[in-house]
Amino acid sequence: MKILAHSYVCPKGTFLNGKLVYDTAGEENPLKSAYQQLGAEYPKFYKMDVLSKMAFIGTELLLPFFPKDADLENDLQLIFANSSASQNTDNLFVESYEQLKNPSPSLFVYTLPNIVTGELCIRHKWYGENCFFIEEAFNPVHFSEWAQMALNKGNNCCLCAWVEAKTNGEQECFLFLLTDSEEEAYSVELELSTLIKQYRNE
Amino acid sequence: MDKPIYISALSLVTPLGNTIEQHFDAFKNGISGIKIHEKAGFQQTAIPLAKREEITGNRYDTLLREALEKAKNAHPEISGKTAVIVSSTKGNIDLLPGDTFAETASIVHEFFPATDVLIISNACISGVIAINTAADYLFAGKYDQVLVIGIDAVSEFVSYGFQSLFALSNETCKPFDKSRNGTVLGEGCGIVLVSTQKPADFAVLYKGGSSSNDANHISGPSRTGEGLVRSIEKTFRRSGKKASDIDFISAHGTATVFNDEMESIAFGRMNLDQVPLNSMKGYFGHTLGAAGVLEIIMSIVSMEKNTLFPNLGFKETGTSVPLNIIQHMEQKALNTVLKTASGFGGGNASLILQKQS
Amino acid sequence: MSDLKENLKAQIIEQLNLEDLTPADIRDDAPLFGDQGLGLDSIDALEFIVLLDSNYGIKISDPNEGKEIFQSVNTLADYISKHQ
Repeated sequence: MKILAHSYVCPKGTFLNGKLVYDTAGEENPLKSAYQQLGAEYPKFYKMDVLSKMAFIGTELLLPFFPKDADLENDLQLIFANSSASQNTDNLFVESYEQLKNPSPSLFVYTLPNIVTGELCIRHKWYGENCFFIEEAFNPVHFSEWAQMALNKGNNCCLCAWVEAKTNGEQECFLFLLTDSEEEAYSVELELSTLIKQYRNE
Repeated sequence: MDKPIYISALSLVTPLGNTIEQHFDAFKNGISGIKIHEKAGFQQTAIPLAKREEITGNRYDTLLREALEKAKNAHPEISGKTAVIVSSTKGNIDLLPGDTFAETASIVHEFFPATDVLIISNACISGVIAINTAADYLFAGKYDQVLVIGIDAVSEFVSYGFQSLFALSNETCKPFDKSRNGTVLGEGCGIVLVSTQKPADFAVLYKGGSSSNDANHISGPSRTGEGLVRSIEKTFRRSGKKASDIDFISAHGTATVFNDEMESIAFGRMNLDQVPLNSMKGYFGHTLGAAGVLEIIMSIVSMEKNTLFPNLGFKETGTSVPLNIIQHMEQKALNTVLKTASGFGGGNASLILQKQS
Repeated sequence: MSDLKENLKAQIIEQLNLEDLTPADIRDDAPLFGDQGLGLDSIDALEFIVLLDSNYGIKISDPNEGKEIFQSVNTLADYISKHQ
């Protein structure tokens, strides 16, 4: 297994393969700014929750790195995880019925973490397999196990993400694309844990 | 998919009871867990719910502990490398504004210490995906057995949300029926053992499974059933089965107008429209992240007893592709069973169970 | 009436998160749903029901009723002025 490419989206900036591509530090609305710098025409972006917005931007940047000969429509598996599920939107939805006295349908539909993978599948017409795990913290060993199991089943590559939006404002989306190769799993795991540390400290 | 993988039912806690025998009796007698609950809806409206009325404290924790205790009694010997996969859409909603899944693993550890606990939250297909993932782990040799727990509790949060989508029925749950007008929310916890070792109790073989996204809309089912068709096709390929092998389908059937219509189109496209089929939402209501596991447990009971249970709430065909909806309890040899699920986020999942020869 | 329409456009943009639009981009008679107009979907239609309730005190209990009412800013404004 090997890492084909990776991206990282957080309020201070958007990174691709370790390099800063959109500097959004100090912006009032960093994700909107990153989206505008990206230049994608996808008005639905504005309706998305924070998880989907971050994953949308990070995934657009990874598109050139997907294997050219792969049947992405069917054989790309999405494996996403975080610790807080859809907590951020959950709290907004509670506010809509407790304070505003009108439960908001457009918030409710984002009160599931896997909506983020649904949004990506809609955007890119991916009909493959999806799975969303809840974990205490980013665990590179688990991601490598899940990806290996997905590849064993005949999937060609895996788009993986640790995508978190907490009520306290912590937001990050670390995306990486994995495919089969001779490389040992432990070296991928080591690389992933190094990468996320670098991204978090930059 | 060379080594055999066995699935057996360990425990089931719902408004219909807390033993599998009680559920068999309820299904035999056409008893539903659904009742109208005054003031349970937004602004004190009355809504139907399938709610376990014995619960007084935290609903999620209570359901989880009760089912875990029963499972531990049914399967006290944990031998070999064991994982627990919990399938749930919302976890413990009372933990908001914090992490709703923060305490799940520690509750599991009260009953099954020293197991690896994983949580899958993938809307209404979580249960089927959790069992598929358990099988993947066994095929990979990482574990010898996996306990899969499907759980979700009734909450104001989810009730108000479904009300805001106008997706709730005002009376009962009538999957695939002409007069269906929405789903009914339910709660429950079911636990199955997925193992490479043949259990002493009745067990069926897991033959393969898959998921597929509709790539259509985050909350509306595809009009063409594309995702469900692709998942069933993939599951057939992986299990080496075809439509004519299937003796019974445990469908999703939420009783919303669009979902059931989508399923009928997908089953028609797959030449599965003549296969006896039910949705169990008329008994359990829609238990979201628990649904797949609960319905697989009752499918295993169907296979053990060679009994087709009626699709409670169905009277008249109400989908553009007529399906072979089970209307009366019937004895039939059930060797191969297809389970499907569909849900928010465009997810569809399926798996195939087979009786041991 | 024209004030009502201008308010409505601002409320639609805010409630439906149409951040790439300004009120001037929404014509009074342009279809709100479907590919020809703003491209709104079924969840947006439900959000209109919330908008009518919270901003104008108008309750719609059957989403099917909304189809006629939510055709355009014109039809929405008509309905509001008749039912408020």
